[in-house]
Amino acid sequence: MGDDNSYDIRTILTQMREEYWQALAEEESEAKEMLECLVFTLGGKRYAFETHYACEVIRVPKLVRVPAVQSLIRGIFNLRGEITAAIDIRPMLGVPQPEIGATGRILVVRAENFATGILVEAAHGVQGLCFDCFEPVAAGSGVKAQFIRGHFNLEEGSVILLDMEALLAAPELVAGDA
Amino acid sequence: MANRYLEIFCREAEEHLASLQSGLLVLEKNPARTDLLHELLRNAHTLKGSARMVGLADISAITHTMEEQLKGMERGERTVDAQAIDLLLRGADAVAVITAALMRGTAPELDVERFVAEYERGELGQHLKAESKEAQPEALADTVRADVKTLDHLVNLVGELIINKKRLEAKLERLKEIGHALPAEHAAPLTTFRGELEEDVLYLDYLIQELHGKAMGLRMLPLRTISDGLERLVRDLAQQLGREVQFQIVGQAIEMDRVLLEGLKPILIHLLTNSLSHGIEAPDARAAAGKPRRGTVLLSARHQGNSVLVEVRDDGRGMDPAGIKAAALARRVIDAREADLLTDEEALYLTFRPGFSTAEIVTDVSGRGVGMDVVKKNIERVKGSVTLSSEPGSYTQITLQLPLTLSVLDALIVACGGETFAIPTTYLQEIVKVRASEIDTLGSGEVIKVRGATTQLYSLPGMLGLPERREAGNATLSAVVLKHCDQRIACVVEAHLGYSEVVVKGLGKQFRNVRFLFGATILGDGNPALILNVPDLFESGRGIQRAPLSAEEAQAAQRRLKVLVVDDSITTRTMEQSILVSQGYAVVTAVSGEDALEKSAGEQFDLVISDVEMPGINGFELTRALRDSERYQETPIIIVSSLSRDEDKRQALQAGAQAYIVKGAFDQGLLLETVQMLIG
Repeated sequence: MGDDNSYDIRTILTQMREEYWQALAEEESEAKEMLECLVFTLGGKRYAFETHYACEVIRVPKLVRVPAVQSLIRGIFNLRGEITAAIDIRPMLGVPQPEIGATGRILVVRAENFATGILVEAAHGVQGLCFDCFEPVAAGSGVKAQFIRGHFNLEEGSVILLDMEALLAAPELVAGDA
Repeated sequence: MANRYLEIFCREAEEHLASLQSGLLVLEKNPARTDLLHELLRNAHTLKGSARMVGLADISAITHTMEEQLKGMERGERTVDAQAIDLLLRGADAVAVITAALMRGTAPELDVERFVAEYERGELGQHLKAESKEAQPEALADTVRADVKTLDHLVNLVGELIINKKRLEAKLERLKEIGHALPAEHAAPLTTFRGELEEDVLYLDYLIQELHGKAMGLRMLPLRTISDGLERLVRDLAQQLGREVQFQIVGQAIEMDRVLLEGLKPILIHLLTNSLSHGIEAPDARAAAGKPRRGTVLLSARHQGNSVLVEVRDDGRGMDPAGIKAAALARRVIDAREADLLTDEEALYLTFRPGFSTAEIVTDVSGRGVGMDVVKKNIERVKGSVTLSSEPGSYTQITLQLPLTLSVLDALIVACGGETFAIPTTYLQEIVKVRASEIDTLGSGEVIKVRGATTQLYSLPGMLGLPERREAGNATLSAVVLKHCDQRIACVVEAHLGYSEVVVKGLGKQFRNVRFLFGATILGDGNPALILNVPDLFESGRGIQRAPLSAEEAQAAQRRLKVLVVDDSITTRTMEQSILVSQGYAVVTAVSGEDALEKSAGEQFDLVISDVEMPGINGFELTRALRDSERYQETPIIIVSSLSRDEDKRQALQAGAQAYIVKGAFDQGLLLETVQMLIG
């Protein structure tokens, strides 16, 4: 089980190729300064977060209500054998809560310890959002801004960027006593 | 750990130390069994040799001394007494401490040099704590070591298989329905195909059962794996407390799920510590009370159905109900009014309440700040239940009932508050039908009689905070009677959907200790169902009430609902009758249409269930005749028949029947469902 220091042409070639592609990718993102985001609707407004938080987007399955837990946990569902919670984060953002209808989706995201499903009114797919039109949230703009990083001013309207780091670490997402 | 030989050594040492430890304890009880010495010598000798090989001089020195002592015993130069055994055990402990430290890569919590020097001189050395270790029985030659994680993964995969099989079974049911809707010429080949598919699924079911059994078997370990350490614990404690104790273990070979066994160990340590510090009296006190000076503590395990019973019994001073009540009052665990109502047996269970501890003096043995309430919590965590029995001055017995495994449970599936829940059958006493007239009010709560015992009645959706659906006129209620410790409660549910083996899944890290829930499972339709944590229901039971019955409901429930069953086949008649009677309906049977007309004229039935083909008038004619009479214009009629053509169904409905059940698809659930839908 000693260290393998032998000369392996394939490993080196793979490495070179990876470096090449990485350099290309960096060039591209630097040129446009785009943030790749998943865009969706909450409370009638458009929101977004970086794609790397998302695992998948699914239609809303049957949700089984969980007794004696906070109301933002709307239920659980079966995600390929894993019991997963569906959460309604709209109260946390202080936005209106229209009924989630046929366009409703669940965005499955990974928090540090668990995967959870965020209920949204509609999902609009992945978009590259330009940093040039980004406006960070103004300091002291209230409690409801704690999960918001800012917004993008786009031609078709504004898109609010969520602070997923803060949102997924929020204690109100977790049910039960420690 | 840098050196992989060291790792191998540590593993080997673990096994030798375990056999040394158990062998020495047996020898202590039976000093005459010098035959054991040979095996012990072999263990010490091998350890010494291996330690030298990997350059562990300290272990080599200690085991050398142990070997010399054992040789002396074998030659009869040393007496086999408690002191000599103690010295050997201390040697084994020291080796355990050193190897454990090696495994962790830290310095041992022991002054090794000093210990070795003292040990060689035959001095007892420092007082050292035995490292807790899972003593493994000696491995047989043709076994392999498997990673526990791999085993758990295997069991999970089998769980997925079971769920998948359930989905297949649900699909078969759908296929049956689809077949019924088809015209006959298309239905016939489908029925044949379905039959074949059903056989395949049945065989798959059998294979999965086998696989499941084998996979679970891999995770099972005998009680022995934790009991060896317990013998040592009792022995040391008895010495420390100045007690004379004989500790017996029965059923060491009983196997349980590894996870459960791990949960059981701290519970047993607690109970045995209690037995020694609170149960067994000092030798003189025992002699004065006319008991043998030496107390007995018995740990026994045995199978009972799908569970394991583990008992800890001591012949000590027992539990005094009056003393417990007084202590509970003093600590304000209960108030005076509550104390008066408690029977002696119920008083024993006060020890499980938080904040209760009867030890007059906090000793370093039992005064660890935790009491029986923690034991109870731990038992609930592994889905067990605990019962107490005691006779002051004579004995205390604590019985733990534990499931064999936690990964698959037998459960009753119930509908409640628009959701489906699984109730583990270990907590289920029975299912009862309750009519409003049978519900009494006691204090602020409602009670019913279950087998003569007054039992609190609650609404399950109400307890869980779910919406309650109580339709007026729905006079008969389904209730499940749950048991926990010595208590029983009845919970009203919307319907019970049958028994099922459910695979337990965790709720994930987003849910910590969620009240009322033990986990979830996935049903045949692919949707999750929550598994209820029954002990939580008992805790929350007090104070929550069912929605009171409306006057209308109460009135409708005044009498038993009567059903007339008409069939020329005695088998069908008896079957239907027993199904209905078990659900609390009054049943009268008729052997023909004519018989039915005669009986229905004599008394008013709430529902008629009839066959089609009978000697004399058939079921359709009977239905029409009943509809023509004034008394039976509105009475629901169910046709149960082996005729499955659409034409027959149409005829039945035209004649005035409300429902048509095909005998081929006949099952208890469907009939009851239909009856309940029509008359409640």
